[in-house]
Formats: sequence, structure tokens, C-alpha cells
Amino acid sequence: MNLLLDKLFAHMTKFIALAVLLIVAWIFTKLFQQSLFSMQASGFDFITETKWAPNLEKFGALPAIYGSVISTFLAMVLAVPVAIGVAIFLSELAPAKLKSPVGVSIELLAAIPSVIYGMWGLFYFVPIIRDIVGGVGISMLTAGIVLSIMILPFMAAVTRDAMNTTPDILKESAYALGGTKWDVIKDVIIPYAKAGIIGSFILALGRAIGETMAVTFVMGNVHKISADLTQPATSIPVTLANEFTEADSPIYYSSLFELSLLLLVISFTIISIAKFYFLRRKRIGA
Amino acid sequence: MATIIDIQQEKALQVKNFEFTYAGADAPSIKKLDMPIAKNAITALIGPSGCGKTTLLRSFNRIHDLYPGNKYEGEILFNERNILTSKEDLISLRIKIGMIFQKPTAFPMSIYDNVAYGMRLQGIKNKTELNDRVEKALKDAAIWKEVKDRLKHDANGLSGGQQQRLCIARAIAVEPEVLLFDEPTSALDPISTAGIEELVVELKERVSIIIVTHNMQQAARVSDYTGFMYLGELIELGRTEEMFVTPREKLTEEYITGKFG
Repeated sequence: MNLLLDKLFAHMTKFIALAVLLIVAWIFTKLFQQSLFSMQASGFDFITETKWAPNLEKFGALPAIYGSVISTFLAMVLAVPVAIGVAIFLSELAPAKLKSPVGVSIELLAAIPSVIYGMWGLFYFVPIIRDIVGGVGISMLTAGIVLSIMILPFMAAVTRDAMNTTPDILKESAYALGGTKWDVIKDVIIPYAKAGIIGSFILALGRAIGETMAVTFVMGNVHKISADLTQPATSIPVTLANEFTEADSPIYYSSLFELSLLLLVISFTIISIAKFYFLRRKRIGA
Repeated sequence: MATIIDIQQEKALQVKNFEFTYAGADAPSIKKLDMPIAKNAITALIGPSGCGKTTLLRSFNRIHDLYPGNKYEGEILFNERNILTSKEDLISLRIKIGMIFQKPTAFPMSIYDNVAYGMRLQGIKNKTELNDRVEKALKDAAIWKEVKDRLKHDANGLSGGQQQRLCIARAIAVEPEVLLFDEPTSALDPISTAGIEELVVELKERVSIIIVTHNMQQAARVSDYTGFMYLGELIELGRTEEMFVTPREKLTEEYITGKFG
């Protein structure tokens, strides 16, 4: 009887685990199927064409790709140094009394739903940007900043955790050779925690590139490639969120699916790289 | 009270009326301790777990200062200066008094960079000088032959015994006056242990050595002087060959004959 239960349980868990795999495959296949029409119609032009004009049945995804890449890049450039700074402070410099309240509030910040970042961005952040750099305030720059604020807590928290795994004895060895705090941080702690730190950056990158709600509010959904960061722009998720309701022709509909397939492939690639880094383990134990 | 023999030769360090209290502790972990440390000799510190031997060792390079709230009292004289004052320059102190830990602690960098690390911290950039001193330190630590063809490889690829010798090379590369060994062989196999012990004995010509060990045979094999500590006090300090044969304190005798520990 017990043996039977064991078997039943094993089969159940196996089924559930396989279901996950199945769902991934299902999503991927559906996106691919729905994109086929657009792929046949636009071919490679889809990713090189800069014009997105549904009424002319012209679908160039380059502005959305450009917007995704640049807004994510901006977010990373702004967030990475701050995240490292916060993590160094929390793991090495902060007095014990400050460590846990600041640490907890950073984790709370990471728990804020992204739609709230979007709302806050639109109502309170856009006016500030408008006052400082001019324009309408809804822009690539605003999107990059809001994204950076959104991914910062996660990056800082994981980077801090990675730094905390450095064995005390290793740090002490560097101090015992006459190292200063800064020497120990840059020569021992950061190299030791490197894999974890890079992993957290890549995961944050993956989150930023797929982020929809936080940026939809502040980016503008304008399909134009502009070097001027204060101009409105669009990204892949922003386009998807804004335009499905308007997709009135099969080719429009299919083009949006191809766009989502593109996003899926990019995200998958990024997560795979992150996994690769996270799975590498360090030798020296605490 | 404690039996402490008079050390005739020059002294590397002189502990006077020393007390140490950990942050948040009610009572000191080391109480009113006096101890001379002979120059160019090996002094072993033995005693049961929690007796304060490692705590005392870690006071000599003030590594306790990394953790806030620890308190020193009394004096530790090094070159006739008390190193326990708040104005002591800990960086130059730690260059002169090096330390080897319980486990090998190779830094996440190449073998060469590990040995050069302490020198680079001091601002030595000259390539020839670095090369020469790295080679010399590795030779002195009896590991040169094993690593000379892979100096650029990651140090974590070495075995435990090799890593510990690498750590010794790293410590002697900055030419310290004193080396502190905190149970340096506790994570090593017997063959690596014998290698480290041999090395420690050779090093005493150039540096004064204090070694904490839980292994009494090790203390007997390598040291010139042995200090037996118990409950934060130094019970007896004597010449090693005398102390293991004719201990003067009853507690010492009971410990080295295995009656407690």
C-alpha cells in the first residue's frame, strides 16, 4: 500500500514537472506559429526596418529593439555602480545597527510591483525630468532612470549576499598582510564574489529588458530612433502592451507576435547566461 | 601562580599584564597575562579549546580590531613600543608581524599575484624586484619547484598543503620580523603537515615564530619554548624539552599526560 502511494506520488510530481516543460514549449510554439505570417511577409526587414506604420502595413521592429536595448543599457549604467556601492556599504562598512534596517528596506523596495514604479514615474518623476532637461518628460531617459530604480534593490541585495559569502578567514588574511579596507574589498571580496555579482547583474538585465508596466507609463510608445534621450521612444514590451488592442489586420497581429518571440529569445538567452554564472561554485568554504 | 622561566636571549615580543575582552563579554578571555617571546625562536602555545591561545595570538597583529568592541588592556611590547595604543599604525604593524591561518587562504588570483600581493600593497611596482622577491619567497617556502611553471595559474588549483606553503611564501615575501601561525596544519594531511613543520623550523633563522597548536606532539617537535594556557591564563612557560619531560606545574603535567583536554 505504502509502496503504491510512493509510486503514485512520484508519478504525480513527474507529471507536474513535465507540465512546466510543456507550457514553455507550448508558448514558444504558439508564438512561433503566430509569427510565421509576419516572417514570410517582412523577412529580415522586420529587424532592420526603422518604419513602423501599421496603416501602410509596414512593420519595422528596429525602433522597438533600439528602445529596449538603450533603455536597458541606461538602466544598467545607472544602477550597477550604485548597487555595488550599496552592497559594499551593507556588507563591509555599515555599523551593525544600520545593516539590518537598511538591508530590510532594500528588500522591501525589491518587492514593489512594477506598475507602481510606472505610476510613480509618470506622476512624480516625469515632471522633474521635464523641468530639468525640457521636452515632454516622457522619454527614453525617464524610462532608463525608472528602470534603474526598479532593478537597483534586487541587484544590491544579491550583490551584498554574494559578498557576504567571502569567508572571514580570507578577508583576515588580506588584512594580516597590511591591506586596508579598500584593498580587501577590491582584491579579495569582489573577485571572490564575482560570479554571484555578475549573475545578479544579468538577472537584473533580463528583468529590465522584459519590463513592461514600469516603462509603458513613461516611455511614450513612439516608433522613432532618436539619439536624443529626452525624446519619447518605445521598447518591445511597451509596443506589445499598447498595440494589441489596435491590431486590426492579420499582418499587424502577426507582427506583434513576432516582436514577442524576439523578446522571448532575448530573455531566454540572458537567463541562460545568468544560470551559467550562478551554477559555478567557489572552492574555499567558510 | 604561573611559572615563567627567564628567557636570556633577546626578546621579539613582551606581553605585560595583558587582558583581552571580546565585544559584549562580561569577563576577559585573557587575564593578567605576562609572557616573553624569544627572538629567532619558535614559541608554541598549547592548551585546551577555549583557553585563549588563539585569542592571544590574534592580539599580536591586532586582527581583533576588525571586529568592533573588542578591548585590550595592558601592554604588548614590540621593539620596545606598546602596540596596543590607539595610535598604532596597524598596517605597518601587520607588515612586520605576519600571520598564517588554520586553513589555506589563497586569494582568488594567480599564484604569482598571491605572493606579490603584500609587496604590491606596499607600493612596490618594479617588475624585476617583484619577480626576484616572489621567486625567493617561493623558494624559501619550499614550493618553487612545484609551481615555477605555472605561476600564472589560479592559486586555488593547488593542493591544501601547497596552498598553505603558498600562504607562508606570501607572508615571508614582505620580510616580517614575527610570524604568527594559528594551527597551520589542522586542515592538512600528515605528509603536508611534516612539510610545514620542517619549513617552520627553517624559518626561525630569520623570523621569530609563535605557533598555536592543539597537537602537543607538534609543539614538542618544532618549538624551542612552550607556553601552556588554561582558562585565559598562562600557567607555565618553559623550554620545550624541559617542559614536556619535567613540567613544574601540576596542571601542565595533567594536560600533557592527557588527563584532560
